[in-house]
Amino acid sequence: MKLPVPESPYRQRRLLGSVVLLLIGLASVQAMAAEDAPASFGWTTRVIAESRDARPGSAFAAGLPLTGFGRDRYRIEQELRGRAGPVSLLLTATESGQEGSKPAGRFVAHEAFADLDIGGERFSVGKKVLSADVAYGFRPIDVLQRESRLQLAPPPLEGIPMLSWDNFSTDGAWSLVIANPGHQRRGAAREDGSVALKLYRREGMADIHGVLRHSRRFGVELGGAISVVPGEALELHASLLQQRRGERMVPQPDAAGGAQLLNADAAIVLEALANPRRALIGGTWTTEAGYSLLGEVWWDGTAPDAADWQRLRRQSVQRAAMLGLPGVPAAAVAGASAASLRLFDQGNLLRRGALLRLGWSAPASGWSAALDLLGSLNDGGRTVTAAVAWQGERLRFDAGLRRYGGPGDSAFGQLPDRAAAFVGFSLAY
Amino acid sequence: MFKCIAMLFLASISLGAPAADDARVKALLKQADDYRLAISSGRVETEVRSFKGGTLDKTRLYAVYLKPGRRSLVLFRTASERGQKMLMLGDDYWLMMPASQRPLRITAMQKLLGEASTGDIATMTWSEDYEGTVSGEETIDGETCLKLDLLGQRKGVSYPRIVLYLAKKDRHPVQAELYVASDKLAKLARFRMGEVDGRRQVTVMTLVDHLQKERSTEVHYLSRTDKTLSDDYFNPAFLVRADLTQ
Repeated sequence: MKLPVPESPYRQRRLLGSVVLLLIGLASVQAMAAEDAPASFGWTTRVIAESRDARPGSAFAAGLPLTGFGRDRYRIEQELRGRAGPVSLLLTATESGQEGSKPAGRFVAHEAFADLDIGGERFSVGKKVLSADVAYGFRPIDVLQRESRLQLAPPPLEGIPMLSWDNFSTDGAWSLVIANPGHQRRGAAREDGSVALKLYRREGMADIHGVLRHSRRFGVELGGAISVVPGEALELHASLLQQRRGERMVPQPDAAGGAQLLNADAAIVLEALANPRRALIGGTWTTEAGYSLLGEVWWDGTAPDAADWQRLRRQSVQRAAMLGLPGVPAAAVAGASAASLRLFDQGNLLRRGALLRLGWSAPASGWSAALDLLGSLNDGGRTVTAAVAWQGERLRFDAGLRRYGGPGDSAFGQLPDRAAAFVGFSLAY
Repeated sequence: MFKCIAMLFLASISLGAPAADDARVKALLKQADDYRLAISSGRVETEVRSFKGGTLDKTRLYAVYLKPGRRSLVLFRTASERGQKMLMLGDDYWLMMPASQRPLRITAMQKLLGEASTGDIATMTWSEDYEGTVSGEETIDGETCLKLDLLGQRKGVSYPRIVLYLAKKDRHPVQAELYVASDKLAKLARFRMGEVDGRRQVTVMTLVDHLQKERSTEVHYLSRTDKTLSDDYFNPAFLVRADLTQ
């Protein structure tokens, strides 16, 4: 669940400039890493429109005008993806608009990196997507990219500034990664400076992944994942992460008085955790007729639990009740209410989650469809998503509907959006 | 005494016959393979044209790198698929989608359901994967052919059973009936021959879909070169690197 986060144009430009300068230098030193044609680029235009249906009678109503909840939106993306010599690029220029706001433009270098072979050793440097894990709905060991999963119509992933030293053997590999070099602790965990060792081993029908990461925020994180294909149709996977330290967003304590409830800065607090864990197991069954069934269940010790969502509900009701009281500024209620919605601004909302996904595809015709049921095993909240896609020669069409529901004090039951729909077209050149 | 020797002789013939037949089929398949891929390692540029009701529906471009040991790496080169890669190591398969940049282990069934069934373009030999018998002769389009009944020897083959017709005169492939795991006839393959670099080679494989009657596919082999990649490229973890131009 992502709320709009303001970007610093200065920081963007400075970062991009540094990366481009670095790549130009590296490319001039080592243009030979390429083992085939020197350059190839593709262009894609995407138009995506989303409609959001606000939940009637939401306890957060006072704060919603300050957020993006319940507002229709669109974005038009121009994407350049390709490679020249050792340098790979993924650049987008996006115009986006939201109901009640002026359209805005944004240029992002999602990826700009060079893969190098120096003295027989392989390195990558630049800004690169560093996704990891074998799971679909939730990825415990995705400790570098920290991708928010199950978004309705997500934009392309944005890479992490990094330097890696990669080694490959017949059945294994390791990578030493320095992510966000020069950073200490930043606003979001994915922006923190860190050092990670990634391991991969192929053992017969199994892929085994390991990760060891150190950052100032979490200390040491140790994780492993396995994906096994025991038959022609069945794939099973599991993933586990153990952190030395952790943190999670929770609503402020209930003991807070009225003044504290109206303090937007204190609406959501970070709670420190000792030795939290994340774990997931799942599997996929695929049939000859083109149907697939994916099932996953997970535990996330860093996500809010049922009591946290219930507390958020109580506090949002209390704030709503303060509206119109003598001496209570409406702006303060609105600000605190909007700030409390930051609890939804995290990759996974569920302490214990389960995902069931029924998919169908007919590649010859280009059509595919999926029905997802995401449920909370803690609070009974759920989302149901139906999506359909068609891929032609160059044109792609996507459309989907999502409905949030459950008890009023569950995560999905109190989300200010009740439903969402999207439609998207992309044209590749 | 003479009777005993005669019986031993007959027994040795009957025991040796299957082995001799196996060797003959193996040799026939090797000869047929040479018309599809005469090199053990190399790169094959492939264009796949999909037809619906006889009308061209889609065109897809692939670069396929092959190495001994049933290793192949498929790079998707069409604009709408740019950045996708599929790696096949024997019976094990991985897919890398550019949006997630993670090599995903996939099942044989998921591979079969891929666009244009990448197994059709990444597997260019029969002799390593199939064994069988010569069951007779038939005439296909005026060409006298040997009919081979073949069974896949690995769990991951796209088609567990193939009925293959090879020209009797020079063993080039003429037609193949491709059966899926449920033993349904999935596709009928026809092979068009041509001159490539002074050699007689398969230049086009036409696949008529028997499960979706109105669909057919032409696989055009645009070029075959002996350009090889180091073993690193055939490691699943290597798929996230971008050392190859798509």
